Amino acid sequence: MKIKKLLAVVLAIAIVASLAACSGGAGGGAAKSSIAVCLASEPDTIDPALNSAVDGATLLTHLFSGLAKWSQDDKGNLEIVPDAAKELVEGVENADGTITYTYTLRDGLKWSDGQDVKASDYEFAWQRAASTALAADYGYMFEVVDGYADIWETDANDQYVNPDAKLNVKAVDDKTLEVTLANAVAYWNELLAFPVYFPVREDVVANESWATDPSTYVSNGMYKLSSWEHNSLITLEKNADHPDAAEVTMDTIEFYLSDDANNQLSNFKNGDWQLIDDVPTNEIASIKAEYPDEFFNVGQIGTYYVCWNINENILPEGSALTGAEKENAEAEIRNAVSLLLDRNYIVDEVAQGGQLPASSFVAMGLTDADGSEFYKNAGTNTFDGYYDTSAEALEGNFASAIETLKKYYTYDEASGKFTDFPSMTYLYNTSEGHKAIGEYIQSALANVGITLNMENQEWATFLNTRKAGDYSIARNGWLADYNDPICFLDMWTTASGNNDVQFGKGDHAAVAAYSLDLTEYGYDTKVENGTWAETYDVLISDIKSCTDKDNRYKMMHVAEDMLMSTGCLTPIYYYTDLYMLDSSVKGFFSNPLGYKYFMYCTIEK
Amino acid sequence: MNSKTLLYIIKRILLAIFTVWVVITITFFVMHAVPGGPFVGEKATTPAVQAAMEAKYGLDKPVVEQYFTYLKDIVTKFDFGPSLKQRGREVISIIGDGLKTSAKLGVIAAAVATVIGVVLGAVAALRRNKLIDRIIMVFTTAFVSMPSFIIGALLLALFSVQLGWLPANGTSAAGLVLPIVTLALYPMAYITRLTRSSMLDVLGQDYIRTAKAKGVSGTRIIFGHALKNSLIPVLTYLGPMLAYIVTGSLVVEQIFAVPGIGRAFVSSITNRDYPMIMGTTIILAALIVVMNLVTDILYKVVDPRITLE
Repeated sequence: MKIKKLLAVVLAIAIVASLAACSGGAGGGAAKSSIAVCLASEPDTIDPALNSAVDGATLLTHLFSGLAKWSQDDKGNLEIVPDAAKELVEGVENADGTITYTYTLRDGLKWSDGQDVKASDYEFAWQRAASTALAADYGYMFEVVDGYADIWETDANDQYVNPDAKLNVKAVDDKTLEVTLANAVAYWNELLAFPVYFPVREDVVANESWATDPSTYVSNGMYKLSSWEHNSLITLEKNADHPDAAEVTMDTIEFYLSDDANNQLSNFKNGDWQLIDDVPTNEIASIKAEYPDEFFNVGQIGTYYVCWNINENILPEGSALTGAEKENAEAEIRNAVSLLLDRNYIVDEVAQGGQLPASSFVAMGLTDADGSEFYKNAGTNTFDGYYDTSAEALEGNFASAIETLKKYYTYDEASGKFTDFPSMTYLYNTSEGHKAIGEYIQSALANVGITLNMENQEWATFLNTRKAGDYSIARNGWLADYNDPICFLDMWTTASGNNDVQFGKGDHAAVAAYSLDLTEYGYDTKVENGTWAETYDVLISDIKSCTDKDNRYKMMHVAEDMLMSTGCLTPIYYYTDLYMLDSSVKGFFSNPLGYKYFMYCTIEK
Repeated sequence: MNSKTLLYIIKRILLAIFTVWVVITITFFVMHAVPGGPFVGEKATTPAVQAAMEAKYGLDKPVVEQYFTYLKDIVTKFDFGPSLKQRGREVISIIGDGLKTSAKLGVIAAAVATVIGVVLGAVAALRRNKLIDRIIMVFTTAFVSMPSFIIGALLLALFSVQLGWLPANGTSAAGLVLPIVTLALYPMAYITRLTRSSMLDVLGQDYIRTAKAKGVSGTRIIFGHALKNSLIPVLTYLGPMLAYIVTGSLVVEQIFAVPGIGRAFVSSITNRDYPMIMGTTIILAALIVVMNLVTDILYKVVDPRITLE
C-alpha cells in the first residue's frame, strides 16, 4: 500500500514536471494559473448562433471575439468596448432613414487553427444566425438589421415569402464589414457583444457537430476549447496568439458541469471549486453568515412577477358588467390585489436572496433616454415605479386595496373578509422557491377571504399550460437580453409567443377598453376605446420604428403604463444573481446579463 | 448444455425482444401525449422558428408515422437519432458516454456489495449470536433502512467537506469512491442478511450433519457444501440488485455530479428530448431484461436440479 502511494506521488510529480516542460518557452517554468468554476450542467450547445443560455454565453465570451465586448474600467464600471473591431463607429444615416455602420477589423486576429479572421467570417456568421434554415432561438436579435423582416415574412400559409432574402451586411474586403440597420437603436453596441453576433467560419460549421468536440471546435477568442468531457468538465486554455493575450492573466479555466446546488456548495466548501453559480435556497441565510466575504448578490436585469389570465372571470357571480366596463373593473381589482402583498416580507423572509421589491414590470437596471433608471421614472407619482413598496406604505396600500375591492365584493366587517370573491388557482412550476412564494400569496389573500388554490406542474408542462392560458394566476419571470426596455414590452403584443396573459386573445380580442394618443410624438395614432390590437400592438410597432431617442423612450413609458393599468402583471421582486467566489480570486467581474468573466482573474494565496 | 436449455434460452431472448418492443411503443406514445415539447422555454421562440425546428426533426409529421420511422431506424440502422437539446450530438454517443461511467460505477458497486455481503453474511452465520454477528446485524439493518440520498449526503458532508479526503464531484477516479460506496451499501447489507439466514438454514440441514458425522473438515463443510448451497437466494437477488443500482444511480449521480446515464435520463424527460428519452429507456429496459435472463441461467449453473423451461 505504501509503495503504491509513493508511486502515485512520483507519478504525479512526473506528470506535473512534464507539463511544466511543455509549457516552457518564454515563460520558463513559471507556474500556470488556473481556476475551477461551476455555472450549470452540460450546456445545450456552445455554437454562438444557437446558444440561448447564460452559462453558454459565459463560455462563448471567453472563446470568441465579437466586434465588441463587455469590459470593466479602472473604477469598476462596466462598459462596452471594441474587441475585434478597431473602434465602435457611429452610424451614417442613409436617404431612406436606414443607418450604415462600417467597421474595420484589428490586425493579427487569428482563428484557433491559425487561419486569419476575415470580415467575411462575421458576415457569414450573421447571415447564418438570422436564417430560417438555422431557426436559432436568438435569431431575433438581428431584428434591428435591415433585411431581417424580409427573411422571416410569411404568407397566410406560413410559407416564407422571400426565400432568398438576406441581412444587409457585407464584407467589403478582408478587413471591412458594412452593416445597415433599419433604424437607430440605442443598444446596437451591446448587441455586437452578444454571443449570437460572434463570428464562425463557414468550413468549420459545415460539420453540424462541430461545436461538440475540441478537435473540430475553432474559435477566435482569448481562449481555446482544450477538452470537453461531456456532462463533466469543459477546459479552456489561454490562446497565446490573441492580440490581447498579454492582458489575460488566467491560463486555464475549468468549467465543471453540475446543476445540483448542494453538490456545488460541497465542492466550494472543500476548496475544489473557486466559483459556484448556484446556492441551495434553504441554506442562503446560514451561508451569508458563514461566508460574508465570499457570498455575492449582484443585480440582474429581470423581474419575478405573477401574471393573471386576462380572460379569467374574477367578478362575483351574477355581476352584470360586460365588455369594456367589465375589463376596467377587473383591472382595478387586480391592481388592488397586488397592493395586498407585502413585497418586503417576500424578499426578506421567503426568497431570502437579497432581491429587491419590485414596483414596475420593466426591471431595475434598464436605463432611460437620459441614462437614469427607467423604473424610477415610471408612472406619475413621487415614488419609484407604480406603487410604493416601502415598509411604511404597507398599511396605506392595504387599506386602499380593501376600499377598492369593497366596490365590487361583499365585505364582512366583523371578520375583515370578502365573502364572494371567486376562488382562483395559482399555477407554478415545481420548485421549493416558487412554492414558498405561492404559499405566501395564498396566505395574504386568505387573510381577506380570497381563496387561492395551489397547483404545481413539471417545467415543460407548466410552460405549455401557461402559454395556452389554462390558468387563473401563474408564476412568471423575465430576464433581459440587452439593456433596452423594449425587451420587456414587445413580449405583450397579441401575436407574441410570450403573451402568457392572453392580451388580445379569446374574449379579450373584442374588448375595446384602451385609448392611445401618440400625436405628441409625431405619429398619427390616436385611438379612443380601441382593442388591444388597435392600441398596444400599434404602439409597439411605432416604438420599433422610432428613430428619435427621447420620443422612443417616452412611448415605452406609455406602453408600460398601459400594461400596468390592466393589473395583469403583478411584479414581486427584481432578480439578483447569487454566486459564491473564493476570496483568493481577484480581478473577477460579471455583467448585468449574468455573464461571468474569468480571463483577468488572478489567484492570491 | 442440452437442447432443452437451448430452446429455453431462445424462447427467453424472443420474449426479451418482445418486452423491449412493448416498452418502446408505450414510451413513444406516452411521451408524445405528455404536454410540452422540446423547443419550449421560458422565452418562447416565434411560431415560425418552432415550425422550422419541428420540420427539421420530423416532429411535424403524424405521431404514428414518426413511430414507424423510429422503429425502422432502430432496427435497420441501429440509429437513435440526434439529441434535440444538445444540438449537434447523436443520442447514441451521449448514451455511450453516460453508460461508460454508470457501468463502471454499477459493476464495481455490485462486485463490492456481493463479495463483502457474502463474506459478512457467512461470518455472521458461523458466529451466530456472538458479538461480531450482533455488530454486523446492527449495521446492515441501518444500511438497509437508510435511503441512498441520505447516505450519500452524509458521506459527502463527512469525507468531502469536513475531512476533505475525497472530492465532492464524480469527475475524477477518486471522485467515484463515494458514489460507489453509497450505491453499494444497501445491496451489500441486503446480501449480508440474505447470506446469513440462508447459511443458517443450510447449516441445519441433514447433509451437513452427515458430513460432520463422516468427519469432513470444517473448512470443507463451509466452502464445499454450506456456502455454495446458501448462495442460491443471493443469486435470485442479483436481478433486483441490478435494477436497484440502475435506478439508485439516478439519485447518486445527482448528489455527486457523476456524468452517468441516470442524469441524462432524468434531464431528457424534463427537456422533452424525445430521441434521448427513447434511447435511454430502450437501453435501460434491455439491460434489465438481459440481466434477468442471465440470472435465470445462473440458477441452472449453481443448482443442476433446476430445469429451465
